[in-house]
Amino acid sequence: MPLQMPVFVRRWFLHRSTRVTSEGLQFLVFTLAIGIAAINTGNNLFYLLLAMMLSLILISGIVAEYCLRRLDFHRHLPDLIVVNQPVTATLVVKNRKSRLPSFSLAIFDVSDGRNLARGVTIHELPAGASRLVPYPFLATRRGKLRLDGVRVATEFPFGLFMKKAFYHVEGSVIVCPEIIPLDESLLQGLMSTGQEQNLHRRGHGSDLYNLRLYHAGDDSRSIHWPTTARTSQLTVRETEAEEQRRATIRLSTIAPVSHDIVFEQAVSLAASLVQHLARQGYLIQLIVGSDCSTFGQGDAHLHELLRMLALCQRSDPSGEFMARERLDRDRREDEGGTEIVVQSWCGPEDHQPGRLTLLVDGQPVDGAIHAL
Amino acid sequence: MPFNQALRLTSILLAAVSFIGLTLGSGLPAWLAMLTGGGLIVVLLRQFTTGDLRHLATHVSFSPAGWNLLVIVGFLWFWVDMFWISGELLPAGIHFLMILMVIKLFNLRLRRDYLHLYAISLVAILASGSLTTDLWYFPIFLLYLVAGVWTLILFQITKGAEDTGAPPMGGQPPQPELLGRVTPQLFWLANGLALVCFGMTLAIFFTIPRISAGFYQKGFGENIRTSGFSETVNLGAIGPIKRDPSIVMRVKVPRHTLHAVDRLYVRGVSFDQYDGKSWMNRLGYRRNLSEESPGMFIIRGHEGPAPSRLGDAIQQNILLEPLDTSVLFAAPFVEKISGKFPAVQSDFAGSVYLPFPSSSRIEYSVVSRVHPVLPADLGSELTVYPESFTKHFLQIPYTSERIGELVKAITGSQRSPYEKAQAIHTFLMRNYRYSLDAPLAGVDRPLEEFLFFRKTGYCEHYATAMVIMLRTVGIPARLVTGFLATEWNEYGSYYVVRQQDAHAWVEVHLPHSGWVMMDPTPPSVEPVGDVYPAWRALERILDNVKLQWSRFFVQYSAADQLAVVRELKAGGKSVGHKAFDSVTTLFSPFMKLFGGIPDYVFPSILRPQGSIWGLVIVAFIIMLGLSVRRILARAFPDKKITQEDHRIVDLYKQMIKRLADKGIAKTATTTPLEFVHLARIRWGEANLVVASITELYCRTRFGGIPLTDEELGMAEDGLRQLTILGKS
Repeated sequence: MPLQMPVFVRRWFLHRSTRVTSEGLQFLVFTLAIGIAAINTGNNLFYLLLAMMLSLILISGIVAEYCLRRLDFHRHLPDLIVVNQPVTATLVVKNRKSRLPSFSLAIFDVSDGRNLARGVTIHELPAGASRLVPYPFLATRRGKLRLDGVRVATEFPFGLFMKKAFYHVEGSVIVCPEIIPLDESLLQGLMSTGQEQNLHRRGHGSDLYNLRLYHAGDDSRSIHWPTTARTSQLTVRETEAEEQRRATIRLSTIAPVSHDIVFEQAVSLAASLVQHLARQGYLIQLIVGSDCSTFGQGDAHLHELLRMLALCQRSDPSGEFMARERLDRDRREDEGGTEIVVQSWCGPEDHQPGRLTLLVDGQPVDGAIHAL
Repeated sequence: MPFNQALRLTSILLAAVSFIGLTLGSGLPAWLAMLTGGGLIVVLLRQFTTGDLRHLATHVSFSPAGWNLLVIVGFLWFWVDMFWISGELLPAGIHFLMILMVIKLFNLRLRRDYLHLYAISLVAILASGSLTTDLWYFPIFLLYLVAGVWTLILFQITKGAEDTGAPPMGGQPPQPELLGRVTPQLFWLANGLALVCFGMTLAIFFTIPRISAGFYQKGFGENIRTSGFSETVNLGAIGPIKRDPSIVMRVKVPRHTLHAVDRLYVRGVSFDQYDGKSWMNRLGYRRNLSEESPGMFIIRGHEGPAPSRLGDAIQQNILLEPLDTSVLFAAPFVEKISGKFPAVQSDFAGSVYLPFPSSSRIEYSVVSRVHPVLPADLGSELTVYPESFTKHFLQIPYTSERIGELVKAITGSQRSPYEKAQAIHTFLMRNYRYSLDAPLAGVDRPLEEFLFFRKTGYCEHYATAMVIMLRTVGIPARLVTGFLATEWNEYGSYYVVRQQDAHAWVEVHLPHSGWVMMDPTPPSVEPVGDVYPAWRALERILDNVKLQWSRFFVQYSAADQLAVVRELKAGGKSVGHKAFDSVTTLFSPFMKLFGGIPDYVFPSILRPQGSIWGLVIVAFIIMLGLSVRRILARAFPDKKITQEDHRIVDLYKQMIKRLADKGIAKTATTTPLEFVHLARIRWGEANLVVASITELYCRTRFGGIPLTDEELGMAEDGLRQLTILGKS
């Protein structure tokens, strides 16, 4: 049976670590040399110097521990951040000690056990005081970024050792895919489809678009009773689409592992399209794999769509996934508007990673790759 | 003071302290001491003065190539110094170190330069520790510790500041506001750390195991030169050292054991042969003393036909400075001697020696026993001694009629040897005068010159005269050299023995009492000197401190550590017992009271069970008490209201007051957010301010999120704005 360390020891080692600095290493070498000289000569004044150096080492450990104790951290992050777009995060650090200040605190975010240097250093934090520290925050991967806590390190008082302590400050933030400037040709294609959609057409809304005879399957609530009474024929009322431009962006999540990079590019392109069309005032629906949003507008809707894209996962092209996606596509009724399909993989015959396909209303659009 | 400037100052001070240490340890020649000292002053002037002085000091500089050339020259000089000038590695190395220190002091630009300077200063303080054991090392060490703690702290803080973007020291001067300044908090913290460090240093120093492998052990400095303790001593040899105040030993004696509290004779060597001008010890053949237990040596069987064991024993602890003689000094006559000696030797006359002179300070304990004059000797006649005895102790260099007549005149009416000796002693004490200005070296017959013409002299002359006079009338006698300790240090309870206390006296052999000590030298009438008593007392205090320093720091050893452990062990037991007794005494009334409860509550048959139940109930109550405390602590966590919390609550109250002045009153049932709504309706201009202060108040009061200084400042500004709005 392997020897197991007690829980408190393991917890201690998780929360505390010490590293010798380069100056500390030189100091230890000198201490060792003086120790040898003291033993060799038996000179008590050498022992006195040795004792001084050993006490400096001990005090380093004790004072560093006090510096790192009883600190409070509160992190404030934006709700949504975008890959490779720096945002400002803030950290409130409070020294809960009643008497002792803390000095030279270097602060790191900890995610997945890794220390993420933020260049944050607090030189002096008096007892009972707090400090707001803003720092640039840059995410390099989309998805849900979990921050386990904060690691605070200090070399105070003598710079011989760097002692680190870990504080649980859990937090998470959704990192949206990178928003890229779209290619001109791609924008031209989108503009033309936008013009087409600018015409009056039937759809969901409240204004009258047309009256026609009732067909089997029509919603009975849409029967226009005055006309029916007047003409003695069941007549239904068609409404004019409230919004004139609608777009459905469909992102296929099926791609083999070899197309991972292309898939990420496809996600990024989809996010860029969503952002672009939202700015143009489109009603947007996003279909990512089997997930589907409603049509909508506005910042809240845009954030919802970007969150969907941030969290989507690539699926391996197994028969089951492909069949399900096809079924989902067939089942969805055409609710009008432009359909933009972003594909990172065209099927089993697509062996060449790097080909990103963009279809607008079933027609391929050039410049999808150049857009990236 | 900005951090970088403070760092520069403490670094220079650190170097200065180590330089002073080396200078006091006589490790530097005058020219180098002046060069280094001058360098330190110039660097300090450059950094911390303004105007002409700074301008002048700034000119003292070289180009980088010039400094490099200086380093090369210094290195070449080191070899020359080692082989031709100093002839040793250590002094030459120290000289080179000082040259490097001066160069570094003028080139403190990068952090690496600072590190080099610290390394040099550490080696320098180490070197001064190898050159001295004097008391001055202690304050120097303390200063070094304080400067070192400050330097290391500032070096670390400035490193942190540079890491976060401030330019390096060598480049553009960093902005003081970026690096920060030495705050009062840091000042006290650094000094406190230095104090703690000192305490821990002492604790570690006394507890660190003393292992002395001794591959390279060396004494400190030169031994003190003494006179009068070699095999042959010229008459008058002691005279020149009688004006030397150097301390040669300290003798700790339990005061109550002494009869004559104002003086203690510390015996060195005795001499038996006198050739008219010098004394010789023909009985100087030394034999090793047997070791009774480790470090304890016994002198078995004193010489002479009638050794006395009836006198008082004197226990002494002697701290002997390094002398150029191997004699171990002690009060006469030595019985036991113990110390960390590989061997101890003794000659026929009872003098005790080391095999070779010690190059370092030594400490040893001695038990001596004085020989009193027995009543049998007060009226006894002269005894016939064996020739082997008389040839040593009745030897006279020549027969002098004048001396013979003088002695007959003095002792003619006396019968016993003791009475004759007393008569000579009294004659010399009454008719002669003490003086150090009595050069008799060039005189043909110095003894007669002293006795009949000059009639002034010092201890050697008196002792020689008495020995020869005693021998002239057939009483065996010998001359003894040693020290007469008269300077009692009441603060440390020991005698300070100086070179000027060197003394010579006489040992007379009496048939029943054996060797008895007599001192014919009259007291000096020369003025002691105008020294204030307070100054003398201060000197004695300082000497006591020196002794303690030597005892507890310089001489501290593994044996002392063992002794401390034993003391603590014994003391711990007794302290434990004492503490137990005290607690028992303190709580005895309560114990009696509780002990009586079972008697009162339970009938006599049930008393044992009652006692047990009583204990169980008490234990249960205690445990319940502890649990309740814990439960209460969990249910009502101690909300510590911090300074910021108080501030924002105060600000919120003031805001409510301002609004009340404006007719917007907050009732007890109105929540803070409802009050914001109310304020917005009735005083729209103040809405923003009220909302922001309320938000901060709620966050702190109910959210437990601490406020930053900036946020508190913002709230204060808001309140100010509200006041202005209210007035307008």
